[in-house]
Amino acid sequence: MNSIEEKIREEAKRLLDEKKVDVVIGYETGTLPLQTAPCFITSSDEVDKLVWNPCCKQNLAIYVHSALTQHRESQKRVKPEDKKAKIVAVVARGCTSRSLVIHLQEKQYNREDLVIIGVPCQGYIDKNKLEAKVDGLEVITGSIDGDAIKVETSKGKTELSLIEVTADNCLECRFCNPVIHDFMAGEAIPVYESDDEFAVVDEFAALPEADRWDYFSAEMNKCMRCYACRNICPSCYCKVCFVEQSQPEWVGAGVNPSDNQVFQIMRMFHMAGRCVDCGSCVEVCAEGVDLRKFLKKLDKDDLDLYEHRAGAELDKEAPLSTFRENDAESFIFEPK
Amino acid sequence: MEAKLIKKAALGDIVKKIAGQKPVYAPVKEGSKVHFKFLAKGESPFLAYANSVNAPKNLFFPQTETLMHYTKTARGNELVEESETFSEMVLFGVRPCDVRSFKLLDMVFDQKQYSDPYYVEKRERTTIIALACRQPPFSTCFCTSVGGHPAQADGADILISELDDDYLVEFLSPKGEKLIKLFGDLRAADEAALNRKKELSDEAVAAIKSHIPATEIKTWLDSNFEHPFWDSIHQGCLACGTCSYLCPTCHCFDIRDEAQGDDGIRLRTWDSCMYSIYSQETSGHNPRPGQKQRWRQRLMHKFKYFVDNYDAISCVGCGRCVMSCPVNTDIRKIVNDIAKLN
Ligand code: SF4
Ligand code: SF4
Ligand code: SF4
Ligand code: SF4
Ligand code: SF4
Repeated sequence: MNSIEEKIREEAKRLLDEKKVDVVIGYETGTLPLQTAPCFITSSDEVDKLVWNPCCKQNLAIYVHSALTQHRESQKRVKPEDKKAKIVAVVARGCTSRSLVIHLQEKQYNREDLVIIGVPCQGYIDKNKLEAKVDGLEVITGSIDGDAIKVETSKGKTELSLIEVTADNCLECRFCNPVIHDFMAGEAIPVYESDDEFAVVDEFAALPEADRWDYFSAEMNKCMRCYACRNICPSCYCKVCFVEQSQPEWVGAGVNPSDNQVFQIMRMFHMAGRCVDCGSCVEVCAEGVDLRKFLKKLDKDDLDLYEHRAGAELDKEAPLSTFRENDAESFIFEPK
Repeated sequence: MEAKLIKKAALGDIVKKIAGQKPVYAPVKEGSKVHFKFLAKGESPFLAYANSVNAPKNLFFPQTETLMHYTKTARGNELVEESETFSEMVLFGVRPCDVRSFKLLDMVFDQKQYSDPYYVEKRERTTIIALACRQPPFSTCFCTSVGGHPAQADGADILISELDDDYLVEFLSPKGEKLIKLFGDLRAADEAALNRKKELSDEAVAAIKSHIPATEIKTWLDSNFEHPFWDSIHQGCLACGTCSYLCPTCHCFDIRDEAQGDDGIRLRTWDSCMYSIYSQETSGHNPRPGQKQRWRQRLMHKFKYFVDNYDAISCVGCGRCVMSCPVNTDIRKIVNDIAKLN
């Protein structure tokens, strides 16, 4: 057990024992090698389930949102004197904390509803990178030993370095440390030295238009429209998503190139200034669709045009919810 | 039934030859993922596959299917049946678990009283060539717990089993025998080959590492529709339906019309009990209001309702849902945990 894990467990135990929170949302060891699952701890006897390691992948902020929203719904018809409060604690690294900030800015719940157990984060193992390294073979056993990962497949055992399978968004992350927290389970760490965070966008933008279109279409054709990407995304919390609306029907239900593209384009545009580049949408996708390249472009525009970074500062207004007369609008009138 | 032998190296070309004559739906590797797809001209199937991401059910029960076209006219609605007719097809490289899935899907789509013409037509026109598992391809495979077998493929038209230098090719049905010519030079299988097959098949069974008490939990399920256990499995679930979409036995669908002006099409698309709108009623009421009720449905349908209706478990143990669930919800663990409550 590492010291961060130990501190998470101690804090979770204290919060539950002192009845400061009703549930602690964190990660537990999964049933498959190098996997974890989100876990929901309600009693301090169970805090030893909580883990922290490079297999902790999902941004947990969406679970905070649904726990608090469901609770609010459940209290709607309760007499005022019988209403109960619900406080949720969550294990949050940088990107998760930024998503929580977005929720707070968008008035989804109150700061008092939330206890943030902050963790410094060095990134997680990208399932697509790992899959490519082992050429699509099943990882039969896997363990992490410092900076190395030992994996066993049907072709034998190999050792990989952690960094070569760390997700791209993590390698370029400027927010390894939570932007807000109530407790820190570990010292803040320095960010990775990435030469250019937006190289992926610039390289793609430099390609001829036809190549960009081909890449985009090919990625969208892989999509099976399960909406796992939307469902894990903390910024996709609408009660009824446009995808499920039938009057009007914004996007057809069939899996075909145009409806797939419409779905993804419409979802992505909701993410301007709201995507924290946690990589969760890519990580959950069973078909390995590359959504990040396009979302990162929105991130870049957010920074270049509005000097804003999604969820980085609680008291900074977000571009989608603010209007200024001198707002950049070149992308409307002179699209490239 | 005829049993023949071919050299291992010859199989790829045989499939290519078949594909020159009829559409062949077979495993293809793209990047590091394997999918069932129609082979392009001159394309060979990927033979060294474990199993595919998507289930071969897509061939008979596609994710999106046009059922009919309609036009609004002054005289009322004119309906035109979807005119796509299917030539004879070959489904190559189906693992035994997935072959079993067709038997289960037949129970739903091909009944005496209700028969689904879209499914049945494609099914009847397709010859299924199964590829036995010499070794279980994944550590998550649990076919033997749900009535399957890694090396038997009841329901296939041809079964191919890997021996040492050869493949043993068994033509199991008249449909399968029709393809014999396309296999070229075949040697008759001798006793030794059949014995070797038996030996390897026993080894494959012994190599299955995952076991679940799939039939044993039925009595518990019969009487525990309400139980605190159901509060413990769904919290991490994203309701993404990846488990249903990739499952070879899931068969729920939705039907809707998509119209443009006076013309429209009636579409059938996959659906999943993991989605909130799956059971949403027009009034706004939802009898399965949360993911708890939805996960209970998924489990009950596979291990109880289907057993009540058709006397079979609606899971073939392929492990796709286990491997592809983005939050590692593991149906094997859930079944095992239920058995502990018994
Ligand atoms: S994006 Fe940053 S904070 Fe988020 S997981 Fe990666 S390294 Fe950690
Ligand atoms: S998770 Fe992947 S397959 Fe599912 S809708 Fe999103 S992009 Fe498509
Ligand atoms: S794949 Fe996993 S997360 Fe998605 S609906 Fe199924 S159980 Fe839930
Ligand atoms: S329930 Fe899971 S293991 Fe069973 S057949 Fe479906 S995908 Fe395969
Ligand atoms: S009800 Fe659920 S588990 Fe059953 S077939 Fe439909 S999607 Fe699959």
